[in-house]
Amino acid sequence: MTNLKVDPITMQVISGALDTIAEEMGHVLYRMSFSSIIRESQDLGAGLFDKNYQTICESESTPMHIGSIPAYLRGVEKTLQDGGWNEGDVVVHNHPYYGSSHTPDLAIIIPIFYKGKLVGFSANTAHHIDIGAATPGLIIDVGDVYAEGMLFAGLKLYEKGKKNEGLAKMITANSRASVQLMRDIEAQIASAQLGVTRFQQLLDKYGEDFTFSAIYQLMDYSEKMLRNKISEIPDGEYRAEGFLDDDGRNRDVQLPVVVTVKVKGDSVTVDLTGSADQTPTAYNVPFEGSCKVAAFAGFRKLLLDASELEVPIPSNEGSFRPIDVFAPEGSIFNPIFPAAAEARFTQCNMMIDLIIKALAPVLPGKTIAGSSAAISFASYAGLKDDGDYWVFLEVNEGAYGGRPNSDGPDSIDNLMANTRNNPIEDLGMHLPMICDRYELRDDVMPGAGKYRGGIGVVKAQRVLTPGFITHESERHTHVPWGAFGGSEGAVGKCDIYNYDSKDDVKSMPSKFSGYTTKKNDVMAFYAPCGGGYGNPLERPPEQVREDVLDDFCSVQHAYEAYGVVLDESLEIDRLATAARRSEMGG
Amino acid sequence: MARIGVDVGGTNTDIILETFPSDSVGAGTFRHKVPSTIQDQSIGVLQGVLEVCDKAGVKRSEVSTIVHGTTVATNISIEHNGAEVGMLTTKGFRDILHIGRHKRPHNFSLHFDVPWQSNPLVKRRYRIPISERILPPFGEVEVSLDEEEVRQAARKFKEAGIKSVVVGFLFSFLNKDHEVRAKEIVLEEIPDAYVCCSCEVVDAMREYERFSTAAMNSYVGPKTSLYLTNLERQLKENGVDADLRIIQSNGGLATVDSCCEKPVNILMSGPAGGVIGGNFFADLDEEKNIITVDIGGTSADISTLVEGDIKIMNPRDSYVGGHPVMVPMIDLITIGAGGGSIAYIDEAGGFQVGPRSAGSMPGPACYGRGGEEPTVTDANILLGRLDPDQMLGGDLKIDPELSYKAIKEKIADPLGMSVREAALGIIKIVNNNMALAIRSNSVAKGVDPREFMLMPFGGAGPVHGPALAEEVNAKGVIAPPAPGITSAAGLLTTNLQYEVTRSYLCELTSIVSNQAESLQLLLEELDSEATKKLVKDGVEPDRVKLTRYAECRYHGQGFELRAEIPEGELSQSAIKKVVENFHVQHDTDYGYRYDEAEVELVTLRVVGEAASKTLEWKELEKSSERDAKEAIMYERETTFAVGQSIMTPRYDREKLLHGHVVYGPALIMQHDSTSLVPPGWNASVSRFGNLMISKNKLTYGE
Repeated sequence: MTNLKVDPITMQVISGALDTIAEEMGHVLYRMSFSSIIRESQDLGAGLFDKNYQTICESESTPMHIGSIPAYLRGVEKTLQDGGWNEGDVVVHNHPYYGSSHTPDLAIIIPIFYKGKLVGFSANTAHHIDIGAATPGLIIDVGDVYAEGMLFAGLKLYEKGKKNEGLAKMITANSRASVQLMRDIEAQIASAQLGVTRFQQLLDKYGEDFTFSAIYQLMDYSEKMLRNKISEIPDGEYRAEGFLDDDGRNRDVQLPVVVTVKVKGDSVTVDLTGSADQTPTAYNVPFEGSCKVAAFAGFRKLLLDASELEVPIPSNEGSFRPIDVFAPEGSIFNPIFPAAAEARFTQCNMMIDLIIKALAPVLPGKTIAGSSAAISFASYAGLKDDGDYWVFLEVNEGAYGGRPNSDGPDSIDNLMANTRNNPIEDLGMHLPMICDRYELRDDVMPGAGKYRGGIGVVKAQRVLTPGFITHESERHTHVPWGAFGGSEGAVGKCDIYNYDSKDDVKSMPSKFSGYTTKKNDVMAFYAPCGGGYGNPLERPPEQVREDVLDDFCSVQHAYEAYGVVLDESLEIDRLATAARRSEMGG
Repeated sequence: MARIGVDVGGTNTDIILETFPSDSVGAGTFRHKVPSTIQDQSIGVLQGVLEVCDKAGVKRSEVSTIVHGTTVATNISIEHNGAEVGMLTTKGFRDILHIGRHKRPHNFSLHFDVPWQSNPLVKRRYRIPISERILPPFGEVEVSLDEEEVRQAARKFKEAGIKSVVVGFLFSFLNKDHEVRAKEIVLEEIPDAYVCCSCEVVDAMREYERFSTAAMNSYVGPKTSLYLTNLERQLKENGVDADLRIIQSNGGLATVDSCCEKPVNILMSGPAGGVIGGNFFADLDEEKNIITVDIGGTSADISTLVEGDIKIMNPRDSYVGGHPVMVPMIDLITIGAGGGSIAYIDEAGGFQVGPRSAGSMPGPACYGRGGEEPTVTDANILLGRLDPDQMLGGDLKIDPELSYKAIKEKIADPLGMSVREAALGIIKIVNNNMALAIRSNSVAKGVDPREFMLMPFGGAGPVHGPALAEEVNAKGVIAPPAPGITSAAGLLTTNLQYEVTRSYLCELTSIVSNQAESLQLLLEELDSEATKKLVKDGVEPDRVKLTRYAECRYHGQGFELRAEIPEGELSQSAIKKVVENFHVQHDTDYGYRYDEAEVELVTLRVVGEAASKTLEWKELEKSSERDAKEAIMYERETTFAVGQSIMTPRYDREKLLHGHVVYGPALIMQHDSTSLVPPGWNASVSRFGNLMISKNKLTYGE
């Protein structure tokens, strides 16, 4: 009986309670964690799920995690140790061919029993700094999924409340950062346990049938909100294409990404047919746990923009239902076992950027110009004096494309990414690294437009011991596009040099694995800049001047891209500006 | 030696005057309320101070102390009208304030605003990079400060007319020489500038948070200090030669001088008085575990006090206007739920209340000022929980028909429910929103509300009390004697207080002896620094009370929790105690402790306090009997939670004496507030005039 009538008032009460539970789970997890990728970057997700693996609620942490846990749960069903759930079990799972988002994102799952009966799951996922892959932290250029490190499929770390010490020892023995790994897993367990307790309290208060009735109606509510928005888009097929730099091994072979958005009534299909075949490296996207999740997130951003909703929609299964995703088996978005598939982020972000581009003609007021749509995910590692590894994972930000009513934000996590940076001072105090530069790029200009593109960051990190760097980024060759007359942005780049010989610069590809560093080597990452939105000549000269005063725009760029002429004291030369703009066709 | 508390709110400025036997009018308390003057708060403050003196017949010269709760600094940060600020920062790091923590405010949005980019505390053109470099982890100088660059930058600021400058260099928490020297040079070039160093404002690791805090200080500094010094002068010019004290965000008082130097400390001055006032009135009747809920027109401030202890937030969690501000603030949360919160149906048919508010213009529909949307106040009017002819003692004109119309048209008809059901729904949803916030400030932190009394105040507070208490399972409600001026009264009950901090990273579990010695020295320094500040304000050294905290984490974690440091010398056993205190705090907050992990100290914090004179609140006369029939004014119908409408007597609170018990259903009326006693509940009047409202008979004051 889960179709009881729930009055609209109690509905709000239960919805609020579910949100609070998910937020609390996320909060406990990042507050308790030890590795900076969880505690500072908050690369995690947490929530509650019903018996059929539908999302009841999920924390507002990192979008890539939101919506991935149902796929983990479906994978666990196929692989569960002993084949059944008992009270007190704690399952660890990360197998990308059984639903995980990618191998470093370990899920901790605790079944929720109520009055002796399984009613759902409390679970979270978090990115761990090292699970014993071929290279420390991150991996790209490896041959198969076994090189990604430990694979957990439906394994019970606790069985009926009793810890599986053998499994714990095995995990400890197979990570370069085993102390952090185990402690972060314990933080995940504390977070999931909290979810169990809170959900049981909620069931006590409202009764099982009534609570689940409300939960399912909330799912329907979220679904309806999204379907309403989809049905406003004219039926049809909308296509956009882009490409990726390379697969991390075979340089100069670009990989196409083709997105066809098929809108029919209040449903939509994202068809990735035409995209590249799966790659021989780890540059592939697990279909269930990552590819589909990215498509869900893309539409939620585009159609249910949180900054424009008076109240947030409940984060649950309903927002996934109207969206179907298709990627041919054996393609980069749906690889076949045992292809490696750890480095999957930039493809997902490109997919979202292309969904936005494809729909631009029919949604001009909602879509934006091309964003950095990449990520910079760097792993720095080395050996400490005592022989132990140190590993640091860093997510660097991107920049947004210009928007219908505002400039693209500068230097901020883009699309699927939404982590926090690691403070430079925190880094310097704890690891043998020093940040040498962290500010907006000044070597290129972002896309010009009525609303300009966002400016990418430059971050230069120096390592103080010999070691390794692996870097997963994108868009060294494919420049973010302008929209509705805006000009294109700027590509990213990455340099490595030594602090003691700064002129001897080695230009790096966007993705590289296990690069051996010497003491004082510096990696300088330059993020792509967003494209412009709308005709640059429609940008008021006063605004262009403001940008020049702030060094967001050079005097030369003001002249060339915006037709704004500034005199020596940086005042607008009205006559010359009018002449220049008319010459440019404004 | 009369004292005045002045609390400036969004709508009204509340004033309380306390006189003593030595004063011309003898001992007593007087209350007053004037409309807030939003453009310049000091006008209303001055008016209120002068009027309350006249009203009480007290000579202006008799006022010895004025304690002020102000939203002036908060409003500058909300309205973005602070000073044009110049910043000197480490070369290569010009945009720390622009990038922030590079996380978007929303996960699912393309059109989001980024407050620190769209409304920067320092424009990029005035962030000038300077050659200098200090290295971790010991603070040695890699590149020495380029003094000529600093001088050139200062001249550029001067040319641009900039009078407020912040110096923020990386790793200044390890070595502040560069920041301090740069400040000297700026002052040489612009002698009348308002200049602050990031390490002076907050000596803590994490560049963005430290720079942001210091930049906020520079941003609100000039205007806030102008406001405070003006107010001080105007009071003097009008014959009020009193010590002016300001309540800080942490609840402690500070002098005008000190607030001018660190205005960032009074960003949350406004709500602080309420928490303290709530605590004061509960404490009179020896209630130690309370949840204060200060309900205004647009928002509610909620704070949980365990054992009478006002909890100070982890500075890492403090944000103002989207900017992190690492200063001690009372742990309270503000949510958009109040009397003016608007009820509406969203596009998918969801029933919502707030956070949008009708404010005071147009205000609730029943005010008849053109508001057509139903608000929480309209629902209360419709349900007979507020009497239209008694609002502000009848001074506020109310048309209940307009409430009915708004609720019917906007809620009841579209949802197919009766108007009464809709009104009950509005109350239930807004109460629920508040209840969720109460839980996140209590249950979510391991506090069991069943051991707590809920204390609602602000004029609109007590009418929501019982429902909120029931929703969060609190054991009962305390309606303080004067709900409308609880915050102002709180100002007369708090202490002079200063906090000083020092960033010092070291392992505590396996501390080495030379570090233990450094720690001891640092702690002594901090102790004497805090003491000195109080002595400077005229406190006798032996009246200074010091509380010391180690802000710790497990080595490798990113968030610190506070562990108290035992009094006296920092011996090995004292350090062991700190470590254990931390384990316990971690277990309390997160439900887990890592016994094997190393405990790391991040920041030392010393809070110095000197007890002020506390408000003397008179006991009520003892009633000879429990029955309070004589206080009944009249009866009307009131609708309660389950929907039944009952003929309900109204009691005049002025006539209630200690020991009286009012049985629900009842409404207890006073000038600026109505307290609700639902059927099956009762309210007993305590010794000091608190109404103890609960389902089970209480014996307070007997």
